[in-house]
Amino acid sequence: MAAGVDCGEGASARQHVFLVPEYLKDASKKMKSGLMFVKLVNPCSGEGAIYLFNVCLPQLFEIKVFKEKNHSWFINESVQSGGLLHFATPMDPLFLLLHYLIKADREGKFQPLEQVVMDDMFPNCILLLKLPELEKLLRHVTEEKEIDKKKYYKYSKEKTLKWLEKKVNQTMAALKTNNVNVGARVQSTAFFSGDPVSSDKEEDYICYAHGLISDYIPKELSDDLSKYLKLPEPPASVPSPPSKKVKLSDEPVEAKEDYTKFNTKDLKTVKKNSKMTAAQKALAKVDKSGMKSIDSFFGAKHVKKIGKI
Amino acid sequence: MDLSELERDNTGRCRLNSPVPSVCRKEPCVLGVDEAGRGPVLGPMVYAICYCPLSRLADLEALKVADSKTLSESERHRLFAKMEEDGDFVGWALDVLSPNLISTSMLGRVKYNLNSLSHDTATGLMQYALDQGVKVAQTDKEPALGFMTKSEEMDGQLVFVDTVGPPETYQERLQQRFPGVEVTVKAKADALYPVVSAASICAKVARDQAVKNWKFVEKLQDLDTDYGSGYPNDPKTKAWLREHVDPVFGFPQFVRFSWRTAQSILEKEAEDVTWEDSQTGDQEGLRRIKSYFSEGPRPRLPHRYFQERGLESATIL
Repeated sequence: MAAGVDCGEGASARQHVFLVPEYLKDASKKMKSGLMFVKLVNPCSGEGAIYLFNVCLPQLFEIKVFKEKNHSWFINESVQSGGLLHFATPMDPLFLLLHYLIKADREGKFQPLEQVVMDDMFPNCILLLKLPELEKLLRHVTEEKEIDKKKYYKYSKEKTLKWLEKKVNQTMAALKTNNVNVGARVQSTAFFSGDPVSSDKEEDYICYAHGLISDYIPKELSDDLSKYLKLPEPPASVPSPPSKKVKLSDEPVEAKEDYTKFNTKDLKTVKKNSKMTAAQKALAKVDKSGMKSIDSFFGAKHVKKIGKI
Repeated sequence: MDLSELERDNTGRCRLNSPVPSVCRKEPCVLGVDEAGRGPVLGPMVYAICYCPLSRLADLEALKVADSKTLSESERHRLFAKMEEDGDFVGWALDVLSPNLISTSMLGRVKYNLNSLSHDTATGLMQYALDQGVKVAQTDKEPALGFMTKSEEMDGQLVFVDTVGPPETYQERLQQRFPGVEVTVKAKADALYPVVSAASICAKVARDQAVKNWKFVEKLQDLDTDYGSGYPNDPKTKAWLREHVDPVFGFPQFVRFSWRTAQSILEKEAEDVTWEDSQTGDQEGLRRIKSYFSEGPRPRLPHRYFQERGLESATIL
């Protein structure tokens, strides 16, 4: 699974480095012409993302980008800044279909698929309807009805959670075979311990797999899945302590001790009349015209004045 | 001088040496260290040691070796040839540091400055002489005194090193490294001690030859080699540098990239390159302190799996 595809020969044209499945590289010309990049919805964020669609098979690939600071490519006799590495990896289209099914479920009725998979923002979503064995695929996540040989679908949360549980189990198996570090402790991804299976607990694997799957489903569904799998609450969601401004009661806040009663009266009256020291007297005699109080240099007003000039 | 080994690969360092005269293994010797090509922005830096028995110091002086800077190129060549002739008592060894090695040392992740590089090279050559059985580590000065014609200071000081900059710390360093040897580090030692003069001639001859026959690693078409003295203050050298800037690669490896002159031309003429340890003006990693306290919803980040691998969904292509 390796192929460098560069688009454009000119020095100024942006070149993309791609890793695509081997069979796409070796594919016939006809199939290659059926490959297209499309912008579809990201089922997790609801925003746009780039996908690769193979019209001939048809098949869906998601595009992931490797992006790190301070990297560049040398491609033959040219330089490509950025150092991006694009991956086209097969994607289960059900995650995308699910996005539309959940959206349509708000109406709470059975609908034909063409009515469900509609998007003004990403009109290319109709490509999803071309996928083979769509009915079989949808059976994992929907209830269906057939009237006059026409199928109507309705999102089923129960079925979906069951399906997602299978996904989590599959992911766990893949995590184990690939020795992915799933422990909660901080450890470098580049560090391979000799015996990873024994050091990572089963629970860590489930949580990790759940998190990974959650990158492909909306937040609400992720939470539901977490409950369904009886996962412990993630530590990140521990409520932060209330900020000090929060009022705990409606009663007006009063100081417990009144420090002012000792000095208010005395200071105001006595100090004015008190005798000044020799140095203070000398200072008082100084011609202060044109001098500003030190306070004025720190106030916001002073800054504004300068800004206008 | 046969520099063919350097010409085969001039990207690292190259050590050359004369055969060790047998007398130098038996009799106590004096050893001089000097360098050539420290300042130029172009070409290699050469370190040289020269050694001869104390008893033959007068013969070395008789050759009228003098500070290489006061000699013309042809005179230097003549004197070096004479030393070669006198190979029965004069030995030498060289270390040629390519400009590429100088650049990569000074610009590495851990900065290795030119002084350290110079000192380590000198130390290496002295160690080489000791390893070859040259009897330098001889502080017993009694038999030698009769031949000390140059000055009284040479009493028992058997290694002489020319220095640039403060000689005290350098001397201390060398003395620590070679406790059995009396080391003298002095500015302008090449004018004071004949062994250092001889070493300076070896270094200078090697540097001249290396520059003259420099084989450029790069495939450059009709490269003009008229670059003047190679020193940064030479307008001809500066003009040559400015003419040989590639926007992506900068200069050929003949140029010491670590020199301020080279860097300022690159800053102006070539494309910007940021490395992992570059000091960038924009502090991307820094957020406003307030941002850590806000209670607002933070954007959902991709799963740890993707973050740890630098992966994100493609949103533009």
